[in-house]
Amino acid sequence: MRPSFLEASFMEESRRGALEVYEREPVPTWRRSGFWTTTLRKLRLDELEPRHHGFVTSLDELPGVVAQAVDLDEVGGLIVQRGASSVFSYLDPSLAAQGVVLTSLERAVEEHGDLVERWYGRRLSAEEGKFAAATAALWTGGAFVHVPRNVRVEKPLQVVYLIDEPGTAQYARTLAVVGELAECSLREYGLAPDIDGQALHAGAFELFVGAGANVKLAHLQDWGRGEVHDISTKRVEIARDAHCSWVPIHLGGHLTKQTLDIVCAERGSDMRHTGLYFTEGDEHLDLFTTDLHEQGDTTGDTVWKGALTGDSRASYEGLIQIAKGAQNTHTYLQTHSMLLSAKAKADAIPSLIVETDSVSASHGGTVGEIDEDQVFFMMARGIPRAEAVRVLVEGYFEPVVQRLGDESLETLVRERIAAKLVRAEDQVAAYSARR
Amino acid sequence: MGLEIRNLHVRTEDREILRGVNLKVEKGEVHALMGPNGSGKSTLANTIMGNPTYEVTEGQVLLNGEDLTEAEPDERARAGLFLAFQYPATIPGVSVANFLRMAVNAGRDEAIKIKDFGQLMRRNMELLRIDPEFSKRYLNEGFSGGEKKRAEILQLAMLKPQIAVLDETDSGLDIDALRIVSEGVNALQGPDMGTLIITHYTRILGYIRPEFVHIMLEGRIVREGGAELADELEDKGYDFVREQVEASGAA
Ligand SMILES: Nc1ncnc2c1ncn2[C@@H]1O[C@H](COP(=O)(O)OP(=O)(O)OP(=O)(O)O)[C@@H](O)[C@H]1O
Ligand SMILES: [Mg+2]
Repeated sequence: MRPSFLEASFMEESRRGALEVYEREPVPTWRRSGFWTTTLRKLRLDELEPRHHGFVTSLDELPGVVAQAVDLDEVGGLIVQRGASSVFSYLDPSLAAQGVVLTSLERAVEEHGDLVERWYGRRLSAEEGKFAAATAALWTGGAFVHVPRNVRVEKPLQVVYLIDEPGTAQYARTLAVVGELAECSLREYGLAPDIDGQALHAGAFELFVGAGANVKLAHLQDWGRGEVHDISTKRVEIARDAHCSWVPIHLGGHLTKQTLDIVCAERGSDMRHTGLYFTEGDEHLDLFTTDLHEQGDTTGDTVWKGALTGDSRASYEGLIQIAKGAQNTHTYLQTHSMLLSAKAKADAIPSLIVETDSVSASHGGTVGEIDEDQVFFMMARGIPRAEAVRVLVEGYFEPVVQRLGDESLETLVRERIAAKLVRAEDQVAAYSARR
Repeated sequence: MGLEIRNLHVRTEDREILRGVNLKVEKGEVHALMGPNGSGKSTLANTIMGNPTYEVTEGQVLLNGEDLTEAEPDERARAGLFLAFQYPATIPGVSVANFLRMAVNAGRDEAIKIKDFGQLMRRNMELLRIDPEFSKRYLNEGFSGGEKKRAEILQLAMLKPQIAVLDETDSGLDIDALRIVSEGVNALQGPDMGTLIITHYTRILGYIRPEFVHIMLEGRIVREGGAELADELEDKGYDFVREQVEASGAA
């Protein structure tokens, strides 16, 4: 072991470089072909600042959104960051005894400096832009997960980022390293109550899935109805013969710009990427996912489904990229968006870059509405229109929800979807009846 | 008491499909409606059920004397009308059992007890010789033609309507399935239910014997009679009816 000041100096250096990028780069605007633009024009970045909080000993001392989403009995470990501070940390002692680590990244830099230095930022460079640089330069708290070689963790390891005060800037950084042949389930949640004002969550998430390992990863975002802006990049690298099933769930956020990338980095790696979003009110969601195959003999399967109510906007762009020489790759990507109100707008853009031959890759994207034949069928059985529509939307999402493979999380997602549909019931029924 | 269709005119965006249909189906009666492809049988069935695709320009649909012409489909269903679809929709993500429970509950003030529902469903599935595993599948998703038709009759059995319209329930069924489904319908048929069977074939009418047969041609009912009319039709075909109608100057 090297003395900890050396580790600290590695991070210091990284922060310094990133800060230069951060200060140099302007606040970006993301433009896309067509009507789509994501802009942070209305975000008053200068008025936001990191907010520090003290430790708590129980989840009950935190805003209710945390206890509503997380049951301490059902997780193997939990770390909660509130604003800028890690405020709660728990790890099942039997897991700790097997060498599993779940701690703040701040502590990990001190205590597991070698590991952190080896993996930190390997797939996520500060050079990528303003906000990637921000998370590298300004992160505090953070989360570090390590599951050593051959270890099997049954219960999920859970990270929560909580924002509960307007004016908060949260720079979040999660690093997860899963060793060879290990097995585990990871979850990262972004939660906020309905705050009155603006806040920023700038996030960076990196997961490395070691050779032969098997990881179930879920992201759940529900920033409530306040003006939380979420600008994040999440990246997953899968090594030889390893498997990762990733389910990102977007249930709320004033403005979200996320880049989600999954990289089959070595032969035999296999990924399943199944996402879901539901936007309402005046929410704006901009997602870009990449299914990157760097090596051959890899497989991928991406399915994204969304629904929109109110005036909300959602754009999903999904890219399959197969690198030169990555022969014998089999992958496909499907995306569907369902419009549930007259004013909502959705974009579904699948695309493909293939730089090699002998691969099979297919993709498709649709934007549709509730099927009136299905509504009529259900009504012909006595089911009122509003209920029929609700059931159809739930049914539409159900295959995605089931891919979570985790009963309590599935229940949570079903309940949130149902609640959104109840909130929009009149609007959605009127929209379906108008035709 | 029962279903009454009065001078019904229906159009879609581009043209008139039903051109003055009159029909009465009393509870306890079995009627057959026959007619060539495109004559308007499914349009009539859908209009009875209130499908918004079809616009009623004239005439009425009444149940037990109550005018339902303007009612929403779900109100009609709860009032006692049932349509077994020629082409039932798929309901992804909703299991047969869950769908049936929703439909049963829609017609009740108080939700049915889970246990009672389970019994009722099992009994009806036995009646129609449907594998219990079937109830876990998403409704009509990946069902064969015959399975869809059986699922329709299972819904009929669960909902016990006053008037059942069966739109080509027989097509897509093999001989055994046809017999099972027909026996199921016969078991449900009684003084409390009237049935309108839409079909091209007399085969089903051998199992479910109609007392009245109606023949539809180009949006009108042009001939009516007893069960023997179906046999005559099978012998002589629709051209024969057409010629008769033309000769009498009705068309
Ligand atoms: N939604 C619709 N829009 C436009 N035309 C329609 C629509 N539904 C039915 N039609 C037309 O109305 C006519 C009657 O159709 P319908 O389905 O009622 O016939 P059918 O007697 O049930 O025929 P089949 O024996 O083939 O089932 C056909 O010409 C059909 O093309
Ligand atoms: Mg028809």
